[in-house]
Amino acid sequence: MNTTEIDTRPALRLSQVVGSFKLPMALTLAIFLLSFAPRIAANSTLMYSFWGASAVLLLWQGFMLIHLARRPALKDFSRAIYAQHYVQAMVQFSVYLYWGYYWRPVYDHFWLLAGQVMFAYTFGMLLAWSRRRSYMLGFGPIPIIFSTNLFLWFHDDWFYMQFVMIAVGFLGKEFVRWKRDGRSVHIFNPSAFSLGFFSLILIATGTTDLTWAPEISSTLTLAPGIYTYLFAVGLIVMYFFSITLVSGAAAITLFGFSALYAALAGVPYFLDSEIPAAVFLGLHLLITDPSTSPRTPLGKTLFGVLYGIGVFALYTILGWLGEPTLYDKLLCVPLLNLSVIGIDRLVRRIKSDAVLNLWNPAWLGGRANVAHMVVWISVFGFMSLLGRTDAQHPGDSVPFWQQSCSAQLPNACARLVSVESTYCGDNAAWACNELGAHYREGLIVERDADLAYSYFARACELKFQAGCANLLQEQTALRAEPLELDLRLMLRQGGKNLIDTPAPELYARACSHDWAFACERSAAAGE
Amino acid sequence: MASGKKKRGQSDEVKTEDAVLAQNLDYQAPGRAVGITAMLSLVAFTAVFMSYQSTQLERDDRADLAQSPVVENFALPADPLWGFVAIPAGEFTMGSNPQRDRMAYENERWSATQRQGRVELPEYFIGRFEVTNAQFANYLTDTDSPNAALFAALDPALPVTSVSLPQMLSYARWLDAQLRTSAATPTVLREALEAGAKVTLPNEAEWEKAARGTDGRLFPWGMQPSDAFANIGGAALLPVGSHSCEPCSYGLSDMAGNAWELTRSALVDYPFTPSSAEALLDVDSLWVMRGGSYQDSINNVRAAVRGAVDPSVRNPTIGFRLVISSL
Repeated sequence: MNTTEIDTRPALRLSQVVGSFKLPMALTLAIFLLSFAPRIAANSTLMYSFWGASAVLLLWQGFMLIHLARRPALKDFSRAIYAQHYVQAMVQFSVYLYWGYYWRPVYDHFWLLAGQVMFAYTFGMLLAWSRRRSYMLGFGPIPIIFSTNLFLWFHDDWFYMQFVMIAVGFLGKEFVRWKRDGRSVHIFNPSAFSLGFFSLILIATGTTDLTWAPEISSTLTLAPGIYTYLFAVGLIVMYFFSITLVSGAAAITLFGFSALYAALAGVPYFLDSEIPAAVFLGLHLLITDPSTSPRTPLGKTLFGVLYGIGVFALYTILGWLGEPTLYDKLLCVPLLNLSVIGIDRLVRRIKSDAVLNLWNPAWLGGRANVAHMVVWISVFGFMSLLGRTDAQHPGDSVPFWQQSCSAQLPNACARLVSVESTYCGDNAAWACNELGAHYREGLIVERDADLAYSYFARACELKFQAGCANLLQEQTALRAEPLELDLRLMLRQGGKNLIDTPAPELYARACSHDWAFACERSAAAGE
Repeated sequence: MASGKKKRGQSDEVKTEDAVLAQNLDYQAPGRAVGITAMLSLVAFTAVFMSYQSTQLERDDRADLAQSPVVENFALPADPLWGFVAIPAGEFTMGSNPQRDRMAYENERWSATQRQGRVELPEYFIGRFEVTNAQFANYLTDTDSPNAALFAALDPALPVTSVSLPQMLSYARWLDAQLRTSAATPTVLREALEAGAKVTLPNEAEWEKAARGTDGRLFPWGMQPSDAFANIGGAALLPVGSHSCEPCSYGLSDMAGNAWELTRSALVDYPFTPSSAEALLDVDSLWVMRGGSYQDSINNVRAAVRGAVDPSVRNPTIGFRLVISSL
């Protein structure tokens, strides 16, 4: 028997359907128009990347409209304003502002950030509508984009990959899900998911130099007091979203492991800090997404501890594989997200209330997070008092690494070469000459006459006379004390160079770094 | 109870709406399997694409470089000694005597008590011409330098300029290695290299002896100023050897004018002694250049004139020539 269904709803006109696409269309147009901004138009690949992103979004909308033309249906939004989104976004933006003040490429990047945010909104809308869901309109995409860009962005010539990376993050959020506490939720933190995936791809394809990741990682410390700044803004996030146990446990674990290694080996584990600034940023803003971290206090603590251990281990593993170690903080987050249900199950198995409430005693009432914050503030204060945050660190000192290398302490010679490479890259002629000498002598690195020659050539170009002498006499590896300009570049302790520092202050600082000749000069100047 | 009913009713309403909405679409909304497949495909595509692009970029670079093939004799002149001239061993007079040369500068004086000095040099070879753009581009091409195309685009016969002291020395080092390994290297040069000589920049004495010979002349062509034998006070650089100079010492070209020629000597007061590497540590990083350029007037193109620049200077009036020297 045939039945005829009668649609009793009022008929939708096509114009109404098209009208519901106003926002994605406007954003797509805005992305296209943004491509004509001078910052973007200056690089044709970058401009085409924006055009390509607009074209993909436009095609997607076209496809949807063609189908909706036959059977009109409205595409709508539901309001989803959550504090965790806009507070995170504001905190992240403040980091951009502060860091960018001391490293201008960040400000130049704002145009590209804006484009990515618009792309993320449009992509999210179309994805939700394609899945026949209403789009949750709020601030959600902004912290995802900000968080991604705080760790990795592609060079202009490869910027289309940035859009692909965002797309992967959103697809992961939409499709890679599991049931948690009876609800379908995404497994991975969207930014950490795409960052983790792309870090793997970059490492596997040997294309790590296509991004700004190394610069991002190393320039955070150009902003004075960056640890204190991150700590302060981290407190805001901790206060609102009770993630103190995650961040605090991660920081304490890393600090503890680093301190233990330093005590046993005699040299710092990380090059010039107990916790690298970018990792410190990550443990405040990358692993603290409440949706993808455990919910119980003990679970949060375990999660933080695992992040600390993960970063610590990956740093060595990546170094051992000869890959850039800066990806340590990114690669372990997706693995941690995967462990969340396991952590929750493990915690549920614990029957002891004393253990379960170890960090959450009843007498604290609802103030447990504040108490955790007080502990974290005390720990950070203790770290700062020990000079392990923004102050001078032993690893900043070249003579420290020279002495450690001479004493054959673990990794010290490799670190010495690494530190000198950094300073040579900064145009410190002395460091270039030292590198040349190492490669010519072949004592702490494999002998390489051509590489040695190229370092001496660079030193000579920088008017370091020993470098020129070594160019002319290939049997020698002459050394000399650093020039004043070299000291201004090598004593920056991760911050800005000391171009304007008065000479007496400069030599006093050099003396504090164990440059013996500087102590003599400093003393002579004082007499 | 009523509330429960209402909720159930609402839920039914939503379900009905979903069903109607589903009917409104004539495509199936993508499920998780499709979504994950799409996402993983995107990731896989990215990995393959980046790997391919990375390889492709390297290939393109190599292809660009391959466009300027390395020349068999390294673009050196096609004479029996590939452009090198032998300067016999022996003494010559170095520095200036203001009584004979009114244009002499103070830094050309030999010592507080002596105006000029005698310097003994072993035999060496010096380039008849300044090093050209063609020769330098040939070197850059062979070493896969990103600057190869830049120099290859310049007039190949002009002297190469705007290169720093380390770049000049790097070229000399490269040519030294080529001459030692090439089967075509002229025997005389090969023997000199095997006997301990090397290709480098001339030191001040080697340059000055080659310029003024052993008869104490002021200019490469003799004692009198002239603009017939050199590119002096001109408008631009000229191809090397543009001014033929029959009377010039050892038949060398452009020892006066055209481009200044950088040496491997640091600027120190006379008397001249070949500096040991260690001695260089105690002096300023200024390196002597000789011969003047097309922009200079006659007083600056005398054989004894000593200019100096720091090693990073890249100047369009400063070039170089090579020696094969055992010092």
